[in-house]
Amino acid sequence: MSTVIVGLFDGVETAARASRALRDLSLPAGSVTTISAVPLPEGAVVTDPQPIRFPRIVIAGWFVGAAAGLGLTLATYLLYPLVTGGKTIVSIPPTLIITYEVAMLGALLATLFGGGREMRLLRYPPKVIHDPRIHDGKIALCARVEGDEQARRAIVAMQGAGGTDVRAEKGEL
Amino acid sequence: MSGGTTPAAGNHLAGTDQAKLFTELSRGNLVTTWRWYLGVGVAGAVLLWGVIVFMYMALVGMGVTGYNKPVFWGLYEASLVFWIGLSHSGTLISAILRLTHATWRAPVLRGAEAMTAFTLMVGGIIPIIHLGRNWRVYYALPYPNSRELWPNMRSPLMWDAMAITTYLLGSLTFLYVGMIPDLALLRDKSAGWRRKFYSALSLGFRGTHAQWRRYHVASTLFAILIIPIAVSVHSIVSWDFAMAKVPGWHSTIFAPYFVVGAIFSGIAGVVIVMAVLRRAFRLGSVLTPMHFDNLGKLLCTMTLLWGYFYFTEFLTVWYNRNPEEWEVFSSYGGHYLPLFLTMIVCNFVIPFPMLCLKRVRRSIPLILIPSFSIVIGMYAERLLIVVPSLARRNDPFIWANYFPTWVEFSVMAGAAAMFVLLYMLFAKFFPIMAISDIKERLFHATDRTIGGATVESIAQVEGEEEARA
Repeated sequence: MSTVIVGLFDGVETAARASRALRDLSLPAGSVTTISAVPLPEGAVVTDPQPIRFPRIVIAGWFVGAAAGLGLTLATYLLYPLVTGGKTIVSIPPTLIITYEVAMLGALLATLFGGGREMRLLRYPPKVIHDPRIHDGKIALCARVEGDEQARRAIVAMQGAGGTDVRAEKGEL
Repeated sequence: MSGGTTPAAGNHLAGTDQAKLFTELSRGNLVTTWRWYLGVGVAGAVLLWGVIVFMYMALVGMGVTGYNKPVFWGLYEASLVFWIGLSHSGTLISAILRLTHATWRAPVLRGAEAMTAFTLMVGGIIPIIHLGRNWRVYYALPYPNSRELWPNMRSPLMWDAMAITTYLLGSLTFLYVGMIPDLALLRDKSAGWRRKFYSALSLGFRGTHAQWRRYHVASTLFAILIIPIAVSVHSIVSWDFAMAKVPGWHSTIFAPYFVVGAIFSGIAGVVIVMAVLRRAFRLGSVLTPMHFDNLGKLLCTMTLLWGYFYFTEFLTVWYNRNPEEWEVFSSYGGHYLPLFLTMIVCNFVIPFPMLCLKRVRRSIPLILIPSFSIVIGMYAERLLIVVPSLARRNDPFIWANYFPTWVEFSVMAGAAAMFVLLYMLFAKFFPIMAISDIKERLFHATDRTIGGATVESIAQVEGEEEARA
């Protein structure tokens, strides 16, 4: 568990001012983040250095689903052939329809699991940093620090920008 | 500031009193009234009656229904198409409004998405009800067995099963993912078993900047994916009919016609659900006349589109006078005249002129008249599609009429009660309003003075982000 300095802010402007002050501490990228009840625009207070990769998983999910749908229909035609005069055993339009539906299902499930994984859902470390007062209109600015000196400077930076209840907590950010 | 909020200093959400907003939007979850128990009791009793009658039908056979030769599809199939149609607009509207960043969308989203999920559940069980030997439903599943049975992938009914399953799973996922931030809010605001319940469902969502960014991408992707699925589902439902060489069914226009009809009835359903939610949970400050006005405009457009499709279909048959098809259409003026008139009056004659009037669209009691009218009219339309085509099928020697029996009415009343019950339980235990979306809108909203008027301005953050990228 790392040490995280948490401060509560009434508005985006004060939180952004604190975030700018924290930059002077040369904290590693991704060490400063916000916890808020609404999504804040990228760069308004902090920036997210990690690229969002899971849409690629969605495309992969679509292809896996398409392969499953295609496999299901083709296997059905071959294992249980319906021999009808003048008709082919393998019928293309129904194959397209089943393939499409299963492909879309694959993409949906990939969005669910890929998105959940990247949002770090279903992970329950012993202690996470959180403050329910975000639901009362506050923005929690959190900075992961190393060492007492960095912690002290981060607390000063947040308090100087107008942060309230600024404290050091042990936990996962 | 709109939405019943008062500007005040203090926080970044337009100075809204957060505690008041939470209480207002979560009233359904926090307070249980005797009306809720009464509603659940009545819906539960009707559902129980429907289940008992269904078991009776399963025990003695399908002979207790009004089915006869050649009308083997009747009220059950019409109800299937009706319920799947109703499901259309919830998720579809929600997805379109999300993608187009419609600023008024927030209060409509959750109720509409929940409507889709529950109407699909009801629609999904109707084929099983209709099956006959219902206990052998597992024969339809693709698994290796000694009977050498395997579903026929060439059958439109099989496509239907796949499409409805995909849409149901997609709609449930769309609904659930949209609720995660609100479940996290309820987790932080509740205690006891409720806290454990919402903790499990919120999956550890906290609202960090990285989580919100990914959440937005995931929501957008869901919206993009669900729209073509929604369109495909009702197209495939129409192909259940259109693939058969039955007069009145075998038509190329059926897929878009069904999709338009589904969206039409779905929007009417959304209006009714919104009005009920507004009244039941006192959401007058969130669900304003503006929301009903916008939905009313959509409904008015769909009335015209439905009329256009119906007239096009009718005109080609009338001009061509193909004897088999003309016999079906002629029966609309005979045995099925009451149904035909109900459809025309309820789908066009009543709603179109009413919905043209702003006064009607902005009055909640008044807009309910065309909405209920459309739901009734679309049910009549579904019956009119299913029954006369079979009753006047090619060979005149087997022509017969159809009227449902008390068994079919009871089972379908049970299905309707199932929808009401599911919706009431959902509204009790889950946030029926998209609280985080409403808060996000407040965050983006600001008042701007133009001359002597103060108007609301919405920051288009997503567009700015794209431009910066």
